[in-house]
Amino acid sequence: MKCGSGIEARQVNELFINIDPIQAGGRLTGDAIKAIIAYGDGYSVCDNCRKPNRLDCISKPPIAEFHKEVAAWLNMDAARMMPGARRGFQAVAHTYVNKGDPVLLTSLSHYTEFLAVEEAGGVACEIPVDGRYIVTPESTAIKIEGVRKKFGKNPVLALIDQVDYQYGNRHDVAAIAKVVHQYDVPILCNGAYTVGILPVDGKALGVDFVVGSGHKSMASPAPSGVLATTAERAAEVFRTTAIEGDVTGRKFGIKEPELMGCTLMGATLVGMMASFSHVKERVKHFDRELENHRVVIEALLSIEGTKVLSEYPRKHTLTRVDTTGSFDRAAETHKKKGFFFSSALNERGIFGIIPGATRVWKFNTYGMTEKQARYLADAFVAVAQENGLPVKP
Amino acid sequence: MSKRAVDLIFSATYMLTDLRMILRETAPMHELDERQRAEAARLIENLERQVGSLKQEMLK
Repeated sequence: MKCGSGIEARQVNELFINIDPIQAGGRLTGDAIKAIIAYGDGYSVCDNCRKPNRLDCISKPPIAEFHKEVAAWLNMDAARMMPGARRGFQAVAHTYVNKGDPVLLTSLSHYTEFLAVEEAGGVACEIPVDGRYIVTPESTAIKIEGVRKKFGKNPVLALIDQVDYQYGNRHDVAAIAKVVHQYDVPILCNGAYTVGILPVDGKALGVDFVVGSGHKSMASPAPSGVLATTAERAAEVFRTTAIEGDVTGRKFGIKEPELMGCTLMGATLVGMMASFSHVKERVKHFDRELENHRVVIEALLSIEGTKVLSEYPRKHTLTRVDTTGSFDRAAETHKKKGFFFSSALNERGIFGIIPGATRVWKFNTYGMTEKQARYLADAFVAVAQENGLPVKP
Repeated sequence: MSKRAVDLIFSATYMLTDLRMILRETAPMHELDERQRAEAARLIENLERQVGSLKQEMLK
């Protein structure tokens, strides 16, 4: 079925259980799909844009109210919707980082955090992880001291992932923020895998910025995200334009340069808004998500030779596993080689494992029903048994 | 201008979206439980009514 010339209608989430690690939390709610149908036209949210002519000031649809609600929900003072978490990193890095400035990242930071630092001219200084792939306050303090020795000054910014994309491990951002603030360094919490998934309280974390991803974790279309901050930092990162044309003398009101004026317009923003009430509710039930995840993990661990590389017990639904000792052994003799695994899962209506991967791979169970979790668990075991792998009772 | 026809189109599309969400919740087997079956039946009945009204409105 086509939805345009050469564009196949995508039916992945209708036909499959989707365990793609980056897709699980971004699947739309029914309300978001309805909102997109109504607001798909380009400048659709701008019908009632009046002075002061800025996206976050529009009251119909209630965009202004939504911005306030998002800030309050994250327990921060101000928020702006962004075209993805990466644009939040970019806005903050561009505000605080100058050429040659050291910036704290971690050994598990997302590449877009590196690019944001690079674009601002900063130097990436990674806090190493410990043996459990966790970033600790102790290693943060050691790194800062090392930076001070090397650069003769403090880092100008720290970007710390609350849950990293590689292992889905949770890092103690509150404790790290305390260390970072002892050196007067502003800290950004990258909540791309937490905002919209589990409760996030920026003030309790003690951070200057909270960044979330709409399309990764807030049941929203791409590209969408949020940058929330304190009143003090809002004056810096959300500063308004001061430029003036030398011929025309034109000025541009209260537009914010870091946001290039208005950021997230049309269907993307309204999709985010439509999902918001559902997202606020679902974060309160993260325990159910962990329970579903546990069912799947236990099934995987029942297959002899399978290891969980992420911290265990799990604190997030994104997990990295090593099946070199199980599914990869079966791949050695299978006629489809490594492709047998994703192929067997596809045949059972499961999508999201990288085709060919049988050694180290990631999956995410977020958003599935209990019945779907049990089905997925049984499917992993069935594929193992079909391929002669021993399964513990 | 037929505001009613436009409303009917949106309303029918939204009912289809609700049906789509049931398919998502029950993938890949689409075995509906009692509650989901009742909800699907209600949506389809309403949808049929909406399409009937749309026919009258647009083809009058």
